[in-house]
Amino acid sequence: MNNTQKVLNILKELTGQDLSGQMDTNLYENSLLDSMATVQLVMELEEQFGISIPISEFNRSEWETPNKIISKVESLQ
Amino acid sequence: MNKNILETIDQVSKSHPNAVAFDYLGIQNTYQELSTWSGRMATAIKHLNLNKDVPVMVYGGQTFDMLVSFLGVAKSGHAYIPVDAHSSQQRLASIIETANPGLIISIEPFPLETKVPLLRLKELHEIYITSSNDTKKEELALNDNFYILFTSGTTGKPKGVQITHQNLLSFVEWMTQSFNFNRQNVLLQPSFSFDLSVMAIYPTLVCGGTLKVLPKKITDNFMSMFTLLPKLALNSWISTPSLIDICLVDPNFTAEAFPQLDTFLFCGEELSHATAEKLKQRFPLAHVYNTYGPTETTVAVTSVEITTDILKKYSRLPIGYVKSDTSIVIESEHNEKGELIIVGPSVSKGYLNNPEKTTAAFIDLNGHRAYKSGDLGYYSDKLLFYSGRTDFQIKLNGYRIELEEINHYLSQLSLIKQGVVVPKYDNRGKVLQLIGIVSPKQSTDNTLAYTNQIKDALGKLVMPYMIPQRFSFRDKLPLSANGKIDVKTLITEVNGHD
Repeated sequence: MNNTQKVLNILKELTGQDLSGQMDTNLYENSLLDSMATVQLVMELEEQFGISIPISEFNRSEWETPNKIISKVESLQ
Repeated sequence: MNKNILETIDQVSKSHPNAVAFDYLGIQNTYQELSTWSGRMATAIKHLNLNKDVPVMVYGGQTFDMLVSFLGVAKSGHAYIPVDAHSSQQRLASIIETANPGLIISIEPFPLETKVPLLRLKELHEIYITSSNDTKKEELALNDNFYILFTSGTTGKPKGVQITHQNLLSFVEWMTQSFNFNRQNVLLQPSFSFDLSVMAIYPTLVCGGTLKVLPKKITDNFMSMFTLLPKLALNSWISTPSLIDICLVDPNFTAEAFPQLDTFLFCGEELSHATAEKLKQRFPLAHVYNTYGPTETTVAVTSVEITTDILKKYSRLPIGYVKSDTSIVIESEHNEKGELIIVGPSVSKGYLNNPEKTTAAFIDLNGHRAYKSGDLGYYSDKLLFYSGRTDFQIKLNGYRIELEEINHYLSQLSLIKQGVVVPKYDNRGKVLQLIGIVSPKQSTDNTLAYTNQIKDALGKLVMPYMIPQRFSFRDKLPLSANGKIDVKTLITEVNGHD
């Protein structure tokens, strides 16, 4: 499974939505993610990609769309 | 302290006029400002000649002008109704209809057309400077309402819990005797329409401390939150367990980084064993307290320090010992596990202008006013334990939500045939999110757009925290034997087990 697919699967579990056709949808403006779901997102990404995402450096504006999440994950790999 | 909360705060202002009462992102306001401005505001409100028992709505965010307004309204002899700026228009209309306020103080621009007179921020600021301060001290009697807090109601009509000066006094005396609030820096995080904020506000103010605000716009972005937190130099932490769960994800959230932070008070939802244990590991010398209480009995009525002994002894944490002026009776056939009935001076007189709901929840117990909490619990070693609800009320991130209220509005939407909301729990039994299960009127390929339409429509009717995070679509919803939507089956399906 490639990175895009993995990220979309995590988001599908958290939001109930298949976002493959909506890669630039703002997850916060569309109320798809809240603070608690964001914590779960961070933990899932850390576990599934073996990366470390310090929560104290988690700037929402860098993670607000599926495309942004994928590029952040790839920059941390 | 004096038997009058407003006088006690004014006395703090006399003895420590330049002490900081409120710190909002570095903007600091003193006790003298709080006392003088609220006094002038009370005079201005009195000049409006409102009827004595008419409440005043205060609408806005988490700023100092809100706090000044609360005290100003109370000093004028009226009750204040705190309403958060994120409230839906439907909810605002509903509160106005039920409470019939004589005035709305709009710290944020008021989004509804209304016949109720508005006092806007600009006018408020003129009052701070120009009005005189001539209120008499005995304005708000002990039996008068101090504040009225609107909570979720099952039929979509929010209920206004009336908290009297006496109720609040009982709570604040207990807090200040049990915990150290003396001139401390105390975290103020929840919105003012959530009564957990009262746990920070009044105990801190009567003791001359500083309320350190952590507003929603900061907690929404973790980076801003973790940047701000160490700068607050907190002594006491008051929040829901959900907020501390987020903080504990950061490995640097430790006693070393927060050397003055020695007290944690939790309320608003169940404190899990795992959360308390992790917190005690990070802050070994700090005192961690679990507390419990419904809004109807003034914020909290039980507390217990979660020590390492308690962590060892119990897998599900106790909610505590009942405060000394109050008793909690367990109503059950076998006198073991049952509904918690709360009796004491902090029990509300009931819901504003709602005799039906008041009679249903408030009863007479051996000549004393008592509140049927709807919470189930039991005693063990004189400690009280919580074990669930008698109805469909849940807590999500500390917010009290009646699932039936959301269902009521969901079923009104023209977009759907049928719909019901179901909680998804984590493995510790805590609600993680709400899932709306909906049977659509028309089939659709674009579920994201359709979900957004539902969320938008629902957002006009309910508070933002009541909108399900997820929606799932089905042709038909399962029905139970009596023809209602079978919620229990759906809860089991969503959670993958019983």
